[in-house]
Amino acid sequence: MSLENVSIRDVLYEAPGPKTRMKIRIATAISIVIMIGLLAVIVRQFYITGQLKTKYWSFYGRVTTWLFLGKGLLGTLKVAVISGVIAFLTGMLLMMGRISKSKLLNGVSAVIIEFSRGVPTLLFIYFFFLVAPQFGLKLPAFWKISVPVALSATGVVAEVLRSGVNAVPKGQTEAAFSLGMTNRSVFFKIVFPQAFMYVIPALIAEIVIVLKDTTFAYVVNYSDLMQNSKVLISNYDALLSVYLVTAIIYILINYMLNRISVKLAGKNPLF
Amino acid sequence: MSILELLSQFGDKYWLALLTTWKLTTVSFILAFLAGVVITVMRICPIKPLRNLGDFYVQIFRNIPGSALLILLVYAFPYLKMVWSYYTCVLIATTIIPSAFCSEYLIAGINTIEVGQIEAARSLGMNFGKIIKNVVLPQAIRSSVLPMTNLLVATMLTTALASQVPLKPTELTGIVSYINTHAVGGVTAFLISAVMYCATAVVIGQIGNLIDRKVRIMR
Amino acid sequence: MENRETPVIELKHVNKHYSHLHVLKEINLSVKKGEVVVVIGPSGSGKSTLCRTINRLETIDSGEIFIDGVTLPEEGKQLAKLRSQVGMVFQSFNLFAHKTILENVTVAPIDVLHISKKEAKEEAMKLLKRVGVESQATKMPAQLSGGQKQRVAIARALAMHPKAILFDEPTSALDPEMIGEVLEVMAELAKEGMTMIVVTHEMNFARRVADRIIFMDGGAILEENTPEEFFNNPKTQRAKEFLSAIKNK
Repeated sequence: MSLENVSIRDVLYEAPGPKTRMKIRIATAISIVIMIGLLAVIVRQFYITGQLKTKYWSFYGRVTTWLFLGKGLLGTLKVAVISGVIAFLTGMLLMMGRISKSKLLNGVSAVIIEFSRGVPTLLFIYFFFLVAPQFGLKLPAFWKISVPVALSATGVVAEVLRSGVNAVPKGQTEAAFSLGMTNRSVFFKIVFPQAFMYVIPALIAEIVIVLKDTTFAYVVNYSDLMQNSKVLISNYDALLSVYLVTAIIYILINYMLNRISVKLAGKNPLF
Repeated sequence: MSILELLSQFGDKYWLALLTTWKLTTVSFILAFLAGVVITVMRICPIKPLRNLGDFYVQIFRNIPGSALLILLVYAFPYLKMVWSYYTCVLIATTIIPSAFCSEYLIAGINTIEVGQIEAARSLGMNFGKIIKNVVLPQAIRSSVLPMTNLLVATMLTTALASQVPLKPTELTGIVSYINTHAVGGVTAFLISAVMYCATAVVIGQIGNLIDRKVRIMR
Repeated sequence: MENRETPVIELKHVNKHYSHLHVLKEINLSVKKGEVVVVIGPSGSGKSTLCRTINRLETIDSGEIFIDGVTLPEEGKQLAKLRSQVGMVFQSFNLFAHKTILENVTVAPIDVLHISKKEAKEEAMKLLKRVGVESQATKMPAQLSGGQKQRVAIARALAMHPKAILFDEPTSALDPEMIGEVLEVMAELAKEGMTMIVVTHEMNFARRVADRIIFMDGGAILEENTPEEFFNNPKTQRAKEFLSAIKNK
């Protein structure tokens, strides 16, 4: 029988004998009891602090609540998509700089990439929120959040793309050149499409980071999911329930993105 | 403001901010690593409910935005009669999120070990503990060096969350907002912090590469 | 005095299923001290599985396995002890990637048999010399050729002073030019009286070294005979087909 597809998680333990099976069964039972106990403690804490009262949750039964949140989510997605696109395009340029033969271009790109990867998104946001206006650069709120989020993602995108380009077998380039293709068309028609296929999962993982970074939109007063949640809170005087639900929405979106990334990684026809 | 003016006026504060960022990063990283190991043990143990709980933990905290978690801790948890200091809230956020990623990296490291090596160890008469000690841990740790250096840098970037609550002393991101509300700090104020972050990241990266080259397993 | 009647390895009525697939059917096998048993058969015949059950790398559904007269238990210290007494050499070598060649050979004697480091090292060097790779002792497994790796794996098994060694297709993952060096070491071991069960496709080796041939197909032992008898005069139709298919290659 082939064992090649078995992960370590499955073989770390050998097939248990009767004693081990018994121990596992007892441990399983104990852990279930403890987990139910923990859950009960949490629910009890919600109950005794009055957080389970219907007034904190009933407004989620209204369509308008979800429409309002949906509007915020749309704002979030707009920022995420635009930041993503900017990060991809600039990341692409930086990657080409990194693989170019010009020492200067290479060095400049490397510095920008290090800078982008080494500085927290929040600091970039403060730059566009606090510093840039001092020079008369007064962007609308949408760009005040989109540009720094993109700036902080572009370095990773560049490195991800570069790793993809490096993963394309050298024989592919040689074969293309032997067919008389030009430098340019070898890169754009042969190398890059393959490189892109390799790194789709990593790029999706980066979208998750971009989406998380958009939550700082409240710093620049742009109405995204987080900002609209705040409005809900003041309308219904229900802070805990709103922030909890909003956090869950973010988690679910990111979880689904990660699932897609894993699925695509498994389906890549190049592997 | 010129860099000299800035440093003469705020030099001490920058130095303190850098130390605060370093300290918060180090403490968070160590706690995240320990939590990550515990979560990983849960995720590979033969007890199903613990496995599922570990998986659940990782999915929640690798996907929650840092700001959302911090807001929950600072503003929402008091409604559950759970009131912590700002510092504690920040530390929880900057520990829990990296711990989820830490566990993902450790699992990936364990998965690089070939199944056959476990079988070989077993056939030599090693019990579970000896297999973990002689084969699994040393290999998982070696292949985790680079992911862990990346995690350390990521943890440092996460500590910028601290700028979202009034925390004394301020760290490197908070200080830029502090200076810009007290004086016209300009680009330089931003650049000093940015360079300090970057330099730290580069040094961490270099050390990580050095260690990795020493311990990497050839395959 | 050695009890001549107790087989080193004995399987009685062993059965195993993979869900609905009956991969081992009523296996009865007994290997005496110093005997070399070669198991052959088409792929998927269950010969590798049979080999792996003896070290309980595969579980069995029914039947019994004895190592030197002691029942192979399902778990616990006794299982580890019996495993340490039966060496195993794998198709894919399975050397510990993070340990040097020398450490690969010494780790189990030190940690399982509690032999002193110095003693384990000396013994390991002797064994590495015996299989002809002593010059590689300080290298890492990835720096060795397949043939060298497999010889180290044999030395690693020998370091436990096993009562028998199981070889699970030891040359199947090797480049053709390296098969010879590994078979040579194995033939040498056989000559020195090591008890061996060898699952292999190397018919010349089987003919030359085996005391007994086991032919398996569909999870069952179909034929058990001396090499001369088996190769010149197979009894079952399946064995005849198998042998002629190999000859035509």
